[in-house]
Amino acid sequence: MIREEIQSKILEIFREEVEIEKPGLDDDLREMYEFDSIDALELLGEIEKLLGTGLTQDEKKQAMDIRTINQICDYVESLEKEKL
Amino acid sequence: MTVCRRYIKPVSDVVLTLLLWVYFIFSYLGFFSLFYIGAFLFSRNREISFQRINHFFYRGYFFCVRALVPGLEFRIPEEVFSIRSSVIVCNHLSYLDPILLISLFEKHKTIVKNIFFKLPVFGWLLKMAGYLPASASGELITFMVKHMENMQEYLSAGGNLFVFPEGTRSRDGRLGRFNEGAFKIAKRCNAPIKVLLIRNTERLFPPDRFFFNTCVKNTIEIELVGSIDPDHHGRGRSVSELIGQVRSLLEDNLKR
Repeated sequence: MIREEIQSKILEIFREEVEIEKPGLDDDLREMYEFDSIDALELLGEIEKLLGTGLTQDEKKQAMDIRTINQICDYVESLEKEKL
Repeated sequence: MTVCRRYIKPVSDVVLTLLLWVYFIFSYLGFFSLFYIGAFLFSRNREISFQRINHFFYRGYFFCVRALVPGLEFRIPEEVFSIRSSVIVCNHLSYLDPILLISLFEKHKTIVKNIFFKLPVFGWLLKMAGYLPASASGELITFMVKHMENMQEYLSAGGNLFVFPEGTRSRDGRLGRFNEGAFKIAKRCNAPIKVLLIRNTERLFPPDRFFFNTCVKNTIEIELVGSIDPDHHGRGRSVSELIGQVRSLLEDNLKR
C-alpha cells in the first residue's frame, strides 16, 4: 500500500471504530481526543485485519507509545516492510 | 445520648477501626497468605483462584464490619449478587466501594490506578488476579494487552468487570466526570452494562478520615438502577451516548 492508502484506511478506522472524526495528522491523539490504551488495542486489531496478519506482543508494545496519525502510518509502513 | 456521642463514640471509632485493621493484616498474613501461595503453586487457573481468595477475604472483612459496627445495616438485593458476564459501572463514594464489590462477586476484575501495581506484594496480588492498570505504560503494556485481549472470553465465561468511571471518590455526593474506558470495553466485548448505585459507604468510612464512623444509624445500599444490553450499545450508539445514558440513570436515582 502506498502512504495515502494507509492514511485513508487509518482515518476510516478512526471514524468508524474509534469514534474520532477527522483528526489532524499531527494532532496528539491522547491530549486532544482522549485516545487511550483501549482505543489503541482496537486500532491494533484493525491494523492486523488491514495487513492480513497477526502482530507479535513486541510489535503491539511498540504501538502503545504512538500519539499521532502520521506516527500510526509510519508504524503500519514499517510493519508492512517487515512482513513482506 | 450526648454523653454517648461525646465519650463512647470516639473510643468506639478508634477501637473498631483498629480491630478491623487487625483482621485485615493478620488474616492476610496468617491465613489467606497460605491460600495465595497454594493457588500460585497448584492452581490451574491462577487468575480465577486469586479472585476467589480476594472475594472470600473481603467477605470475611465485611462480616466483621457488620458484626462489629453498631447501627450498621446492608441492603443489597439478590439481583445485584446474581450479575454475571457484565461490565458493572458504579458511583464512587468511599475506599470501601471497591472491596465491597469484590466481596459480592467471586469472579471479578477491576481497573486499578497504575501506582498500586508498583507496590511490593500488593502489586503482585493485583497482577495475579488479572486486575487491569488504568493505562498501559512502561512494563504494564504487555500485561494490559494480554488481559484486554482475553477480556471478552473472561466476561463470556461469567466474570464481571466493575469500574468506577469517575476514577475517584466523590466528595459531595454528586457525580464527577466519567472516563470512557469501561464503556469502550463494554462495546469492544459486546457485554451488557449494569449500572449500580452505592449509598452511604462514605458515612461509614468518609474520605479524608482514618477512623470508621461508628455508632450512627446507617444503611449501606447497593441498587441495580439500570441495564444496557449489547443490542443497544453495539453499532450505532457512540461511547458518549452510552455515558450520557448511564449518567442519567445514576443522577435520576441519586435525586430520589
